[in-house]
Amino acid sequence: MPVFMDLNIISSNDKKRLKSIIETAAHLGYSTVAINYVVEPQQKKQEFPKPQSVSDIFDKLPVVQGKSSPIKVLNRLTIIASDASHFRPTNEYKSFDLVAVYPTTEKLFHAACMTFDVDIICIAVAEKQPFRFKRAPVNGAIDRGVFFETCYAAAIRDNTMRRYTIANAISFVEICKGKNIIVSSGAENPLELRGPYDIANLGLVFSLSDGDAKAAVSTNCRSVLLHGETRATASGVVYTTKKPITPQKQEEESPVSKKAKTELEYV
Amino acid sequence: MVRHKSRYLLCEVCVTDRSSLQLLESRTLYGALKAAVIRAHGDYGAALYNIGVAVKYLNAHTGVVLIRSRKNYYRLLWSALPFITYLENRGQRVQCFFNCLHVGGTIRTCQKFLVKYNKQQLHRMLLDCRTDAEKQEIRRSILRCSLTTVREEEADEDESDDESDEDSVKESEKVVLDVCSS
Repeated sequence: MPVFMDLNIISSNDKKRLKSIIETAAHLGYSTVAINYVVEPQQKKQEFPKPQSVSDIFDKLPVVQGKSSPIKVLNRLTIIASDASHFRPTNEYKSFDLVAVYPTTEKLFHAACMTFDVDIICIAVAEKQPFRFKRAPVNGAIDRGVFFETCYAAAIRDNTMRRYTIANAISFVEICKGKNIIVSSGAENPLELRGPYDIANLGLVFSLSDGDAKAAVSTNCRSVLLHGETRATASGVVYTTKKPITPQKQEEESPVSKKAKTELEYV
Repeated sequence: MVRHKSRYLLCEVCVTDRSSLQLLESRTLYGALKAAVIRAHGDYGAALYNIGVAVKYLNAHTGVVLIRSRKNYYRLLWSALPFITYLENRGQRVQCFFNCLHVGGTIRTCQKFLVKYNKQQLHRMLLDCRTDAEKQEIRRSILRCSLTTVREEEADEDESDDESDEDSVKESEKVVLDVCSS
């Protein structure tokens, strides 16, 4: 059974709601979930929210439907950028596993695709696309390994949003030919989540091909996670072997190996 | 050109509190599905819905639904399912969503899947148990289901398999219900 991930669950201060969303996600079959902290920087100095540690929300993570391992919960930051100065990689970014940007102008979109150090670029879902997508920056982003994300919760809430979501998604898929797309929920309460096969079907509505639609929920999401790891290790080399490190060994190895840092983040 | 082929969509209706599920009826479901297909696909969807679609099985306690549609158009129906946000029955509105568990070509394959799925649910419930008495009950139910499958393998041909399939579906669902209500 392939690994399904939902990389956009809007965070809230209400722990009970977060808990019920994650439990529903585990029931539906998602193996990994990312809690999204959305930031809209307006002043020059903006405070970034600190990600809650997972143990705050759960004592014991719910087990994924169909597997025996518990669900993995990650942290993600989304920056709504309307100006190039808003995005400045600082140390606070490092505490998040994934970084996403939501460009609102064409210049920013171009900059985000070519130069910004992000994992995910969000496509507008709640409004008519303010700018046209061009092939050049999109292909540049695909070469770099950046992914584009569509959220479907707005489509579920409202009829007009549904039209915008489908329109924007289809116009984007035409440009990028179905590569490097992920579909995620953007859910604010547990009733807005949908199962992974249902979402793969939604991908068909967005004119993705069969294989691309399934990849949008499974393999592309995994690539995003790996891309996030490369950002953390800072050497651009992705470590794919993970051996279980006992606490004793960790103390011995800690000054030497860079690997321990990423593994500690997942604990 | 021997027979009409259909696709059976096995779905689960997920709600936040299980007691509100009891109101579910196949007629309400049919109406809600029709409204969703019309919203998503317009008149074309409405026409296809009229010829092909039927609600074959509904379990108000666990929220499992089996919907039949034509093989050529099942994707149309499936793409309208995620957009359903509530079901309405006699003025009472229940917030819910549909989760598609399995797509099968015949009712029997869907039944087989449902038996396996119910067993999985029992195992999951075992993890959530808080009191010892609940754990004992679930363990007993799992044993009962497993013994049925052993009997299935030993039994001979189609009819006895059918019966034991139906029995095992009913048993596993009854067990799931018992545990939920306790």
